[in-house]
Amino acid sequence: MASGGQRIRSILFYLSLSIFLTGLPFILSFALGYKFNMRTFKFTKTGLLALKTQPQGAAIYLDGRLLNEKTPATIYELLPGKYNIRLELEKYYPWLGEVFVDAGKVLRLEKIILFPLRPDIKQLNKNEIFSFWVDEDKEWVYYVDEEDNVIYKSDLEGISFKEIGSLPPINPLPKKWKVSPDKQKLLGFNLHQIGIIYLNAQDYSSAGGFPFVLEYSSFKILDVFWYSDSYHLVLVTDINIEVLEANPQTIPVKLVDLNKSNTPAFYDDVKDTLYFLDSQKAADGKLYDNVYKLELSAKVYPFKDLIRPRPNE
Amino acid sequence: MNSIAKIRRYLEIAPGSISWGIIVFFILLAIFNPVACAILIIIFDFYWIIRTGYLTTLLVMAYRKLYKQKDRDWLSECRNLGPEADWQKVYHLIIFPVYKESQDVLSASLEALRQAHYPKEKIIVVVAFEERNKQAKENANILEAEFKRNFFGYLSTFHPDNIPGEGRTKGANATWAAKKAKGFLDIKGIAYENVIASCFDADTCVDKEYFGCLTYHFLTAPKPHQASYQPIPVYNNNIWQAPSFARIVEITGSFCQLIESMRLEKFVTFSSHSMSFKTLVDIGYWPVDMVSDDSVIYWKAFLFYKGDYRVIPLYITVSMDVAYSRNFFKTIIIQYKQKRRWAWGVENFPFVVSGFLNNQDIAFTKKIRRGFNLLESHVTWAVWAIILILIGPLPIFLGGTIFSQMAIGYNLPRITGLLLNFTLATSLAWIILSRAILPPRPKNISWLKNVVMTVEWVIAPLIILILGSTPALDAQTRLALGKYMEFNPTEKGNKMV
Repeated sequence: MASGGQRIRSILFYLSLSIFLTGLPFILSFALGYKFNMRTFKFTKTGLLALKTQPQGAAIYLDGRLLNEKTPATIYELLPGKYNIRLELEKYYPWLGEVFVDAGKVLRLEKIILFPLRPDIKQLNKNEIFSFWVDEDKEWVYYVDEEDNVIYKSDLEGISFKEIGSLPPINPLPKKWKVSPDKQKLLGFNLHQIGIIYLNAQDYSSAGGFPFVLEYSSFKILDVFWYSDSYHLVLVTDINIEVLEANPQTIPVKLVDLNKSNTPAFYDDVKDTLYFLDSQKAADGKLYDNVYKLELSAKVYPFKDLIRPRPNE
Repeated sequence: MNSIAKIRRYLEIAPGSISWGIIVFFILLAIFNPVACAILIIIFDFYWIIRTGYLTTLLVMAYRKLYKQKDRDWLSECRNLGPEADWQKVYHLIIFPVYKESQDVLSASLEALRQAHYPKEKIIVVVAFEERNKQAKENANILEAEFKRNFFGYLSTFHPDNIPGEGRTKGANATWAAKKAKGFLDIKGIAYENVIASCFDADTCVDKEYFGCLTYHFLTAPKPHQASYQPIPVYNNNIWQAPSFARIVEITGSFCQLIESMRLEKFVTFSSHSMSFKTLVDIGYWPVDMVSDDSVIYWKAFLFYKGDYRVIPLYITVSMDVAYSRNFFKTIIIQYKQKRRWAWGVENFPFVVSGFLNNQDIAFTKKIRRGFNLLESHVTWAVWAIILILIGPLPIFLGGTIFSQMAIGYNLPRITGLLLNFTLATSLAWIILSRAILPPRPKNISWLKNVVMTVEWVIAPLIILILGSTPALDAQTRLALGKYMEFNPTEKGNKMV
């Protein structure tokens, strides 16, 4: 005869079995997208709609009817067919769409972005400015006031907005200035001029003038790069590649003669390597367009030795 | 190979083949018919959750029984049984098969016997050493000096190596020891039917009421010689010192035994247990060439008594050591090997089924039921964690774009996730019970360990992944390939100070 414990166990067993047998059809039909119709006692194959928005929490209107769920949401048991969807979130443009739901399938609308009605805009500059740029490290915003010849700087939130220097007499004024790796100097250039601005008084005095412009009338400047020591410059012109010092008295050193007059160049300031396109003579004596790599790192290139002493030294 | 040997070989191959067949079937299904695979996974997950809920309820019920019988004065209850059940004629023969276990481990186990609330003049101890262990004689002398005078009988036996027909198994050592004990009983004129034999792992420390409880059940059970008596193994000796990983595994092992104690129709002896010495002699002792001697002995008796043999649960604990090492990865390896040895119990399947084939006295339905239960439990052990954890997500990865656009492809991870979340509720019950079966915290252990021992259950999924199914699948594969295991005692941690 079964003991009390064994009787309870039997009840538990049959209860578990009943839950399994009755629950399983519902779980499986739900998984496969079937809907049980209580009136007809029939299973109908339905589809489903998965909605995700950025930002979340949008109200969902399905064929004009507001649903209880907010995004992200999955709408189950949709009969196959066309549906109009409207997603609404306060202060955002609504998202509208017409979709077709297939039986037994999921329609995933999971990359919806809701755009704000009035984008969050915030004034960063505190003074009148003419143009601006953001440094490559995305740390600082630089502002140019052309009228008063002043350069300002602030962080990306506009905090610590301050004057950092004067513009050099460069004409036309460059649209964008390049910040030296040590963040203490700026350079801008046009076709025949390079303007240098020292932001640090100590550096400025050692440079012998502030701000200053290097004039080059015999060639066109295509690009100028800061060398990693924040003192030398790599200059790409229409006739050659040169290096020079960020100093009014500098005398450039020519490194490579170029055969193309508009060579594009890229400078890797971490490895101090210049990549450029040029036509160079091959073994057969003909010119071919190639991309060249010029390593200027102090480790592989006697860079310092190449720079001639300044006339005043 | 004769036909019996052939059948037995096929039966050895069967569990591993079925387990691998299920796994391969699921993988192929995930590739070629992900929808069908997903349906089967959902069915299995749902079944597993219902099963977990059911088993957890059994665990709570079993724990309640254990708790209710805690601190019960069983000896007094034996005394109250009356003259028709004379407890005083009952002797206890306790055999400790030993191989490499240290003398400290044995001292603690013998000390627990000495502290038992039961007359020591009714206790015969046999410490069964392996002759091949060079330390054996020395350890035997030390232990004899300390414990011999405390018991009615105390024998140190030394099982010789390389006896023809024997494997290097615990059963061979225990059998040798039991035969020596038989000689001792013959000399003393003690009838076998009045002796209860307990075969304990070397680190087994009995509850002080164990022998009273055992005697009471032996004297009150119908057909007491046709039953084994199974206490609840806990791993409390060093549980406070053991690392989380090993502790959770062993606590889970204790819980499994508690659950099994509620499923009497499937209940089989495990680890340290007791039985009638008369039965032990009648059935020819433990098998000498099988690793899983603790469960095979049950099946031997089951076949001998034509299916009329059972295991009676004793809601009293025997405490053993948690198997661990100071090194985390070594602990995993130790635990893995221990679980693989337990899973080697699958060798019972060919033994039992071939026994059924030769035994016409057991009812056919009983043979089918017991044989199926045995096979099903081992196959389930080998595949459940793999299906839940590894195969479950396969249709999503292998099903491709078409499957991901189907309702079931979208619903599969959500449904399985939701279903498995229900197991969290059962996990909570396991955590609470794990606290309840702990011994008091030793003074040299910080109270913060209480927090650790609760929070540590978060690593349970990792344990399931490592030790859930793979040791069983490993054991079944070895058996199927004929790479038979030898008994390797598990390395155990230090005892609680």
